[in-house]
Amino acid sequence: MMPNQQRNRRQTATRLFAREFYESSLPDGGQGEFDPRFIVTKLGARVNRMFVCGVVERLERRDTERGPMFSGAVRDPTGLHLWSVGSFRPELHLEMEELVARFDDGDRFLMACIGKSNHYTTEDGGFRCRMQMEDYAIIDREVYATWLVETANHTMRRIDALGKAQSAETTDSNALRDAGVPGDLVDGLGLAMNHYGDWDAEGYKVGVLQALSAAEGRVISFEEHEASPPAPEETETENEDAAEESAESTPTSKGDLNIETVVLEIIAEHAGDEGIDYDSIMKHCAQRGLTDEDSIEDMIYSLRDDKCEIMEPRFGWFKPM
Amino acid sequence: MSNPEEFENEIRTVKESVPDADESAIAKEFARYKDEFLVPPKHALRSVIEHFQKEAGMEVSAPNTSTRRAAKSVERFSDLASDDTNVTIEVAVISYTPRMTMVRGEEKQTAFGWIEDNPWEEGGERTRWDFKDWGNHAENLSPGSVVRLEGVSVNEWNGKFSLNINQTSRVAVLRASERKVVMAPSEPISIERVLTMDGFATVVARVITAEQRTVNKKDGSGTIDLVKGRLADDTGTIGFACFGDFEHPVGALLKIESAAIRRFRNTPELNIGERTKVEIYHDEGFASLENLEASSVMQISELRDGATDVAITVQLTSWSSRKFTGKDGAEKTVWGGDAVDPTGVCRLTAWSELPIDEGSVPLAIRLSNVRVRSWQGTPDLTVDRIEQAEILDAIPWDVIDASTHSVEVDFSELLSGGSRSGVTSSATVISVQSGSGIIHRCPDCKKAMRDGACREHGPQAGIEDLRLRIILDDGQNNGALILGRESAEAFLGQTMDDVQAATKDDGGEAFLADLRSRMLGRRHTFTGRAMIDPQGALLMADSFTLTDLNLEELANEVRERWGVFA
Repeated sequence: MMPNQQRNRRQTATRLFAREFYESSLPDGGQGEFDPRFIVTKLGARVNRMFVCGVVERLERRDTERGPMFSGAVRDPTGLHLWSVGSFRPELHLEMEELVARFDDGDRFLMACIGKSNHYTTEDGGFRCRMQMEDYAIIDREVYATWLVETANHTMRRIDALGKAQSAETTDSNALRDAGVPGDLVDGLGLAMNHYGDWDAEGYKVGVLQALSAAEGRVISFEEHEASPPAPEETETENEDAAEESAESTPTSKGDLNIETVVLEIIAEHAGDEGIDYDSIMKHCAQRGLTDEDSIEDMIYSLRDDKCEIMEPRFGWFKPM
Repeated sequence: MSNPEEFENEIRTVKESVPDADESAIAKEFARYKDEFLVPPKHALRSVIEHFQKEAGMEVSAPNTSTRRAAKSVERFSDLASDDTNVTIEVAVISYTPRMTMVRGEEKQTAFGWIEDNPWEEGGERTRWDFKDWGNHAENLSPGSVVRLEGVSVNEWNGKFSLNINQTSRVAVLRASERKVVMAPSEPISIERVLTMDGFATVVARVITAEQRTVNKKDGSGTIDLVKGRLADDTGTIGFACFGDFEHPVGALLKIESAAIRRFRNTPELNIGERTKVEIYHDEGFASLENLEASSVMQISELRDGATDVAITVQLTSWSSRKFTGKDGAEKTVWGGDAVDPTGVCRLTAWSELPIDEGSVPLAIRLSNVRVRSWQGTPDLTVDRIEQAEILDAIPWDVIDASTHSVEVDFSELLSGGSRSGVTSSATVISVQSGSGIIHRCPDCKKAMRDGACREHGPQAGIEDLRLRIILDDGQNNGALILGRESAEAFLGQTMDDVQAATKDDGGEAFLADLRSRMLGRRHTFTGRAMIDPQGALLMADSFTLTDLNLEELANEVRERWGVFA
């Protein structure tokens, strides 16, 4: 009786910031044809339906064998939420066409997006998350700010639960419950802790702080936040220091951290006015013993799109922000 | 508001990429990102550069994001690091200990045990690691077998390494074993937890009521003797039924092992059957019968359809009787009225006359041993015998005005409880469902028709009506909210005629699109009743409005609650 109930119930829309979603790599559920599919985040959210907001940063139409589809991205304080509108949702296509036209004209706007989590595996085995859009609305700053606060609340609730879970003796559900983990997060946190291992959620708190500040009208990136008031001359170096710090508290694995530091150093050291080209970054990485080109490439794009540490002034050339 | 100087550094960066871009235009763009979209200049840089690159007709690089992990295939545990996730390795299974845990009301099996690497080399050196099985791979992880694990991850805890075999992991048996896995018995759990479960449970609890009963078999083939009653611990109470001998008196403390949880309507009950083990339990510290009885007195918010043995005190706000002809042709009378307490609203029905007349309300009445039936989300306290009710001298709270009585309830609290009436709650609109607007109802059964036909009564000339179907969602729970004609008209600020006129030409598409853009993502507040069952929640709204939010206060609350300040 119970599995049916689980199946029929409408899935609740998880509120989460972009970073928590795109750093996920654990699918769950979906064994049977009608079983809902989830992506389990590092904070233990089992994400099926999701509700995200942000300013539109990308929007394009693509033509596929099955008809047109649309893909886009909205930016929140922690990074980009990628989404797509499939060819199987023609009811949204007309409006999407209009939005693409607006976007191509240079118009930018805040969007509330509701959809289902989805993931795919790249040819080389990489795990990518994105959202299949179900519905959306163009929203104003007030609604966006409310989402920021609400999502900050949900994120902190999960961070708090993770802290409790880490103090539990084991990751089985009874131990997690006894440690005070809320019932709706027990399953997800059990799965997450076993998949992602030990890590520090401090980096996600930075996103929460940034979101709350933005909602309160203080639109600054957190690094500047620390150094107040920011003297114009010093901002640059302080930024770099703070960036270093936030890079260190980044809850990715040690390996990623290492790659991140090395790639940043290489780009800082060798980028001329033009920047440094992709192949040269790879060569320098190899000299320093980093040979996993996929990870390096991912790191480059992550530094460019999510962390905004580097830019790509022209295709394949990178320099520090 | 922003001033251009604050973007000086960012403007310089944009100019480096797009030398011809106009500085004031760049500043304007940054100001827009900051003021309208709440995006700080540093995060907006890339978008702004792209914008001006595009404007200048320059090549814009295609974006790409994400992090990924490649599969790692190793032969020895020593080749693994603590953060490896997508690992393939061949191992020998040494032990496998299953363990039952309750997950979302389902009994779920996880397991732990030992595995050793280097499984093929006779007499070779092996390393032993712990593992945990999260994916119920018991069939393929028999002790003595050799398996290939794919997609498993490494866990490091206090310097000790172990492997996690996840739901998505694959276990391929390379050499089978003879032994089979046996299920482990479950540990005692609290009644509070049992109430949310299905399957089997073991509890330690005190008997607070027990009564011998005889029921007729459904097929008319005779009667069954059984004992029905209630068990309590300090987390709650649950009814039980025992189909065999049950000679434990009220007050006895018992350990009941492997009782089946059965649900009658929304109320779980423990079934003590042949395979259940019942024994006297000794625990000096266990809550006394007096305390358990006192704390088992309920409030309206806690009433669940199908509950029995309910003790509760309510304020009656109306009282009347009606006569009807029973199945046997005899004329019968039933009494009833509305009841409230500080936690909600319900109905009360009596099958025998109570010493109450219409003029004596409001009054307080204490009920014991009554049962609960729900009708469309409103719980109905059913009194069968006069001795179940006692009229009190005074109402134990400030008299409640039933006509305006609504209790503010947190959305998740409301939706994870039972059906309730007279509640006010708020959550975000996540969907405006098609089928909102003008609908046609079947003249026979009043149900909404689809494509001009009723599901039961076939094609009909339907009666027009106005209805909105909205999904409310607070991030932890969701429910479908129905606005009938009156509440929809009030919410829309339009009459049904207005809506008819607005939807005539395009079948309501523009009307829906407009509703969506006005409502999606915004928090709304409703007052009405909530019908909750395992399939989900249905909320019937008497009133519905956009919630008036104080952002600063909300943000402050979040900062205080979690201690996030910077």
